[in-house]
Amino acid sequence: MGFVYWLLAAASLAATTNAASSSSRHLFENTNIQRTVELGGSLTHVTTTIAVKALGHGGPNVYELALSELEHQRTALLEVKLKGGAQNLAVEKHGFDPTSNAYLYTVELPPLAQNATATLVVNSILAHASKAYPASIKQADPQCLLFTTEAYVLSPYKTLTERTKIRLPSPKVLSYSAPEALSNYAPEGSKEQARGIRSGAVITYGPFDDLPPTTGKFFAKEDQQLLSVHYEYETPVLSVVSLDRWAEISHWGDNLNIQDNVHIRNDGPELKGHFSRLEMQQAKYFNKVQHQVLTHIPLQLPPGIHTPYYYDSIGNVTTSRYRASPKVPGKKRPMPSFLEIRPRYPLLGGWNYTYTLGWDAPLGDSAKYDSKTGKYVIGVPFMTPITGAAVDEASVTIVFPEGAENVEVFPPFDVDSTSRFTHVTYLDTIGRPAVVLRSSKLTDQHTGVIYATYTVPVRAHLAKPLAVGTAMFGFFLLAAFFRRVDLRIGSTKSKRS
Amino acid sequence: MASYSSLQQLHASLPAFAPLISQSLIPYLAWSLLLTSFGLGFYFTTLPKHSVPVTEILVALVASILGGFGTVAMFCTLGVYI
Repeated sequence: MGFVYWLLAAASLAATTNAASSSSRHLFENTNIQRTVELGGSLTHVTTTIAVKALGHGGPNVYELALSELEHQRTALLEVKLKGGAQNLAVEKHGFDPTSNAYLYTVELPPLAQNATATLVVNSILAHASKAYPASIKQADPQCLLFTTEAYVLSPYKTLTERTKIRLPSPKVLSYSAPEALSNYAPEGSKEQARGIRSGAVITYGPFDDLPPTTGKFFAKEDQQLLSVHYEYETPVLSVVSLDRWAEISHWGDNLNIQDNVHIRNDGPELKGHFSRLEMQQAKYFNKVQHQVLTHIPLQLPPGIHTPYYYDSIGNVTTSRYRASPKVPGKKRPMPSFLEIRPRYPLLGGWNYTYTLGWDAPLGDSAKYDSKTGKYVIGVPFMTPITGAAVDEASVTIVFPEGAENVEVFPPFDVDSTSRFTHVTYLDTIGRPAVVLRSSKLTDQHTGVIYATYTVPVRAHLAKPLAVGTAMFGFFLLAAFFRRVDLRIGSTKSKRS
Repeated sequence: MASYSSLQQLHASLPAFAPLISQSLIPYLAWSLLLTSFGLGFYFTTLPKHSVPVTEILVALVASILGGFGTVAMFCTLGVYI
């Protein structure tokens, strides 16, 4: 019987959701869509400006965004805001909708009267959207990437006019597609122009007028086109395969230690043939840069840190340059510390490298104390971003002082999972509470701070010295006992007799 | 339950964490406490053996407490921030 009730509840919920989503589709119209795609290496930035007109008589102000399967797989960051607005709007994920043949997201807009307009700015970052093409090259060959995307922006609403601009990092374009079918929605006089016009490092597709709702299997099959751009990319395509951050808080040491275990990979074209160090040195000598080779990674670390260390599985890596930046009291935006690390060997396409990078910082730079509640509040950066690098998997483990209680963690964005465990290290008795946050598909924009609150009672602070003292006292008691025990073999009196 | 933005504001407004014992004093504290503890340990070995070892226990207790705090301070001095 309970199962029947569950079925009825699920059916009514589905009907309500469908009714809400289908009714919201008739309430808006896209008067203008401008999409700008900035091509890069492992990250691609897409900015879509949507001028929206409300058609309904008030009611739900929920605007639906749609992503195709291709876009959904690649989207690592999706933010929506009103043009001119400072705050991002709340985006709710609804998963795959079979009717729309797309992944749906909803955004709640401020109340709009009938025929009122609003402009949405949708910022998204795609990870690994450009693939190496050709997939393997010789050491001296140029590095080229291929980017593909749908020609028409997916939307469950009718669109009056739409244009797409693809900006390349350099004017070196090998080819770009110009499907004939793109002229179907182009206005008279712009049929050829709509199929793609290149001006320097910008390729413009459109305008496309009077587009019907572009979601749905019919449109995808009959009208949707794929655009592709083949371009030369003059920077190594760097990806972070995994990044594991360990942040350990010490109250006795007034220290926050942060250690990153990083696995990076060059996602450029794989090397065809053997690596030639001689060829690489010659290219350097003649100022011919081999663009696909990764030789160094610049990083910006927090100001005021000390004792940075950088090693890999072989040992300490001395090829790095570090410029410390002290934290000046009273200065609101101090200069970051600068660290340029050089992998032990240059990374060519397909090559991997793992390293450990860590540093210490005064705990007062990150942690604050609320004397009213007795709570400590600490801010730990989620990761040190590597410019232009996609991060496939990341985890942050925060280890709190032994005896910490009421531990609460607030990540800057939704994470995939959170778990807790007890970490035991030097001079611990009961161990230290630790929280692990795991996330995937991150970008260099995921640079927020994780805030955590906790309390540490006085007895917890005294646990370590008392534990060591108790052990020492035990040794003293043993010594006092053995002082009173005669361990000599036989006595002087028995020997004489 | 606090929201992220309220916690962000709270973090920005609160005074910075300050340890009970300043880090600049920790090395001096470590050496002085441990040396005193070892000195008391030596003195412990010279004490006469009474049936009720009151003096021994007192000396051991003081040496242990000083040794405990001294060890924690020495770990921090050596860069092992416990």
